[in-house]
Amino acid sequence: MSSLSQNPKKTLLFSAMKNPNTLKKKLASRFLKAMKKLKYKMSPSPPASIAEKKRRHRAVRAAAYASMASAVGPRRAWSRALLRKMKGRKRARRNPGNMNTRFGLNHLCDIVPGGEAMDSCSLLNETAHYIKCLVAQVQIMREILHSSSSSSTIL
Amino acid sequence: MSSRRSRSRQSGASRISDEQIVDLVSRLQQLIPEIRSRRSDKVSASKVLQETCNYIRSLHREVDDLSDRLSELLESTDSDSAQAAIIRSLLM
Repeated sequence: MSSLSQNPKKTLLFSAMKNPNTLKKKLASRFLKAMKKLKYKMSPSPPASIAEKKRRHRAVRAAAYASMASAVGPRRAWSRALLRKMKGRKRARRNPGNMNTRFGLNHLCDIVPGGEAMDSCSLLNETAHYIKCLVAQVQIMREILHSSSSSSTIL
Repeated sequence: MSSRRSRSRQSGASRISDEQIVDLVSRLQQLIPEIRSRRSDKVSASKVLQETCNYIRSLHREVDDLSDRLSELLESTDSDSAQAAIIRSLLM
């Protein structure tokens, strides 16, 4: 494993070959745990006010990003940035050279978490991984919705 | 192209070559459904980046929308069997 860190290009390639299934399973289990937690915290029967509904919506969304970040852990710069944001820590220092305007990456560095502190190469690499995780997270959320709606159908 | 290369050498902060960037951009290209479906090798880097931004933004919107529906789901469902079924299907 240490040889990988010595050769950066190899690390890039290796990280691209991550098994998508294990990632998805990790994401799924964390997200489901978070959802369960939310459910227990919820006030039971009376119909929720609009403010309460908004609060729940925000809580679920936060849980989605939180489980993404914690499932990936400190391995990735974007997940580290998300974890920092969640813990309320300071952001990482901005990229001093600001090479991001070079290829028109100035929008991308605002969108990807932690993007402003990355050089162009890292930013593109992180973006690819971030997209993969986002796609997996979206799939999981869709699957949860579909399986619940189908199981609760009364024939 | 050569001017960009010399600029990066002058800054000295990073030794990122243009080919690395092109490599990464083409990798991104594979991930974005918009561009992948067009099957054209002539997509410019700026187009790829633009589409990447749009794609990520749309994914964020999707997460937001799905969160909304899931939060409504949290209210209604309370059967543990449904949850068990979900967990089984996802983690199988």
